[in-house]
Amino acid sequence: MEFDDMKKVWDTQNNEPLYVLNESALHNRVQVKKRKAGHITNISELLAIVANIGGGGFILATTLSKESSNVYLYLLAAWMFVTAIYCVVGRIRRIRSNTKFDRSILGDIDQAIATASYQVRLSGLLRWNIVPISVLIFLGLWSGEKSIWIAIGLVVFFAVTWYATGWEHNYYKSRRNEVQQLRNLLVNSDTGGTITT
Amino acid sequence: MTDAEQQTTLNLWLSQYKGLIFKIVRSYAFTTMDRDDLFQEITVQVWKSIPTFRNECAITTWLYRISLNTAIRFAQKERKRSESRTDIDSVSHVLQDNPVPHDGKLSWLYNEIAKLNEIDRSITLLMLEGFSYKEMATIVGITETNIGVKINRIKKQLTEKSKNYDHGI
Repeated sequence: MEFDDMKKVWDTQNNEPLYVLNESALHNRVQVKKRKAGHITNISELLAIVANIGGGGFILATTLSKESSNVYLYLLAAWMFVTAIYCVVGRIRRIRSNTKFDRSILGDIDQAIATASYQVRLSGLLRWNIVPISVLIFLGLWSGEKSIWIAIGLVVFFAVTWYATGWEHNYYKSRRNEVQQLRNLLVNSDTGGTITT
Repeated sequence: MTDAEQQTTLNLWLSQYKGLIFKIVRSYAFTTMDRDDLFQEITVQVWKSIPTFRNECAITTWLYRISLNTAIRFAQKERKRSESRTDIDSVSHVLQDNPVPHDGKLSWLYNEIAKLNEIDRSITLLMLEGFSYKEMATIVGITETNIGVKINRIKKQLTEKSKNYDHGI
């Protein structure tokens, strides 16, 4: 069969559509999907912003209300506010940069790579941010002469958080690599062929 | 643009161009559930894109770009996702097979298209739909030369495989 014959075969479906559309089922399910359409990047950013502002605000309020002179807790609150500001600025930049990609499949893939790279950067930064935060917390506990059990509990908590954020970071990295592979398929004319679905 | 205007445009586009989306769905999704999912995902993406459509290109070109991009990403995710579906029977399917029988050659063609990688599949669909190299380059975002090289390779591959079909293999 020559390609022109394949085109004729292809065109036969223009007269008789492949499927019958159940419009009410479509309408209901599209509404549900639209409600669930919150993007993972949005959620990560908002969580980081809320957690840092909330945590920093709580530490600042309790330290001020006790009229404590524990400088480490003030530093910790300030650090968390700075982290929140960094996340807000990053979010604004990311949203603004969305318009710079052209309206093609390559443009969409490039946008997906930019978003994935941003997620990798953000998750890496939030992971390493655990280090200064935990150091400041321990210094704050030490200077406040708190119980050893609180310190042990915090060590366990930070260890679990470090492990979990490492998993999240690697997950984003693998997603970025997948989209990068897709881009390679698109721009390299000699890399074609079949796949196993 | 109000929600009602957006919805009216979506309904109009779906009624006129659903066949175009069906072809992409069949080329990128291989179970009833996946076809439903992909069709819905494309519909949502098309719905979202309506306010940014500026009549700078044909509606079909716009729909192909949105639909193919959604399908490529869907297929990539699907390849990795395990088969862990629940309540498949409890939902009414959005797409139901049209009982009118189609040519066996068409099924063969869809089969061969399904074996291509996600990007080549897009280019094959655009080629079969009769888009020019220039239009394809605009939709896909790569040069016409690059499109030409890919098309030559795909055509050669499909023509070669069709010999087996012609001989009943």
